[in-house]
Amino acid sequence: MSRLLAEAMAVAAKDLRTEFRTRVALNALGLFALTVLAAVSYTVGPYRITAEDRPFLLAVLLWIVIFFAALAGLDRSFVKEEESHTAPLLRLAASPTAVWLGKLGFNLILIYLLMAILVPLFCILMGYKIMLVGGFVLILVVGGYALAVITTIVAAIIARAMTRGALFSVLSLPLLLPLLIFLIQGTAGASVGTSETVVNTLRAVLSMGGIMTIVSAMLFPVVWSD
Amino acid sequence: MRVADILKLLLLVWLAIVIVAAFLYVRPAEGFIGESSRIVFFHVPMAWIAVLAFLVSCVTSVMYLKRREPKDDIRASVSAGLGLLFAVLATTTGSVFARIMWNAYWNWDPRQTSITILLLIYAAYLALRGAIDDPERRASLSAVYAILAFVTVPFLVFVVPRIYWSLHPDTIINTRGANEFDSRYTQVLMASLVGFTGLYVWLYTIGCRIETIRQRRRQEVL
Repeated sequence: MSRLLAEAMAVAAKDLRTEFRTRVALNALGLFALTVLAAVSYTVGPYRITAEDRPFLLAVLLWIVIFFAALAGLDRSFVKEEESHTAPLLRLAASPTAVWLGKLGFNLILIYLLMAILVPLFCILMGYKIMLVGGFVLILVVGGYALAVITTIVAAIIARAMTRGALFSVLSLPLLLPLLIFLIQGTAGASVGTSETVVNTLRAVLSMGGIMTIVSAMLFPVVWSD
Repeated sequence: MRVADILKLLLLVWLAIVIVAAFLYVRPAEGFIGESSRIVFFHVPMAWIAVLAFLVSCVTSVMYLKRREPKDDIRASVSAGLGLLFAVLATTTGSVFARIMWNAYWNWDPRQTSITILLLIYAAYLALRGAIDDPERRASLSAVYAILAFVTVPFLVFVVPRIYWSLHPDTIINTRGANEFDSRYTQVLMASLVGFTGLYVWLYTIGCRIETIRQRRRQEVL
């Protein structure tokens, strides 16, 4: 068990190290998110939405930015391996499950990094008031995890296909849509203060994330060793 | 005549009787505007067949990953395509019903939303198949995706519409365990289900045969 974790952490560390060298995914994620945030903040701003619409509309905007930023950058971990032809070596070096865990960890770190920068900025620039901050943070953590799990397995699938970029969005979005809907509702609930909505959202997202984790863990070795 | 020809003829007769019965044998149900309750004899079987087709696609995908036989991949892709077709038909009949009952073809009701997501998922499956050249890699990657896609089906088709309040009329598999229809409705509905299942099996068999021939010809060219 500890061997698996050690291998996984080595894979994640390698990915992080190479990512900080070239910063391709970080740039994609970060610049996309900041540009969209700037555009939204400039055009919409804190004043143009009425007080009763704010919780929901701002939740929608926040999650759209996070999701599309994720789609811009999260396929990087697998596509990079194919492009630099290091994938065969990685297959020899670590077990498939360790590779999956490592790549998942890498994507998780990217997502959480994005959220840590984007969410406070969004709340400040758009004047988004959150009543249940604890619930909101939980939604971000759990939602980010589910997002990372789904995008990791889809990235593994499309890395071996031809039209990678477009295909990543096409395959991910239908799977991510239910997640998006739940997260938006939960965030709106957290903003207003209805803890029941938040709890329902957390339950739904956790179960989705859980199912996807199990299915990904079982299917990844097939995709990887093909 | 071969057995298959007899069965095909039987299917034709059965479906013809079902269609006639849907209009002449049953009366319009209460609580529905005009004749719109008759749509249940077509809408429900199509939705049922879509789920069945996706299930077959998932099962044959699992079998492909185990046995690595090309015919399992053919079965998976044919069934997914048919499932998509029947899901589109179910969505269309549903939105026609929505227009009659609630004056709007589409209002993002929870059931409409979840069926849209399902359609997108399986359209993405076909997109994935089109994007990979190598046949073996295409087969195994789409098998993986078909399994991933089917995991979402029970959730989208059965769970989500029951969590949120929806305009969609009470379904056959409902929480009260009661059958709301009168006996004639039940008879025609069951007959329609059997008929449409037969239609699916027929289309599936033909599709698999065509695809097998196509693959064989492609290999002969190579």
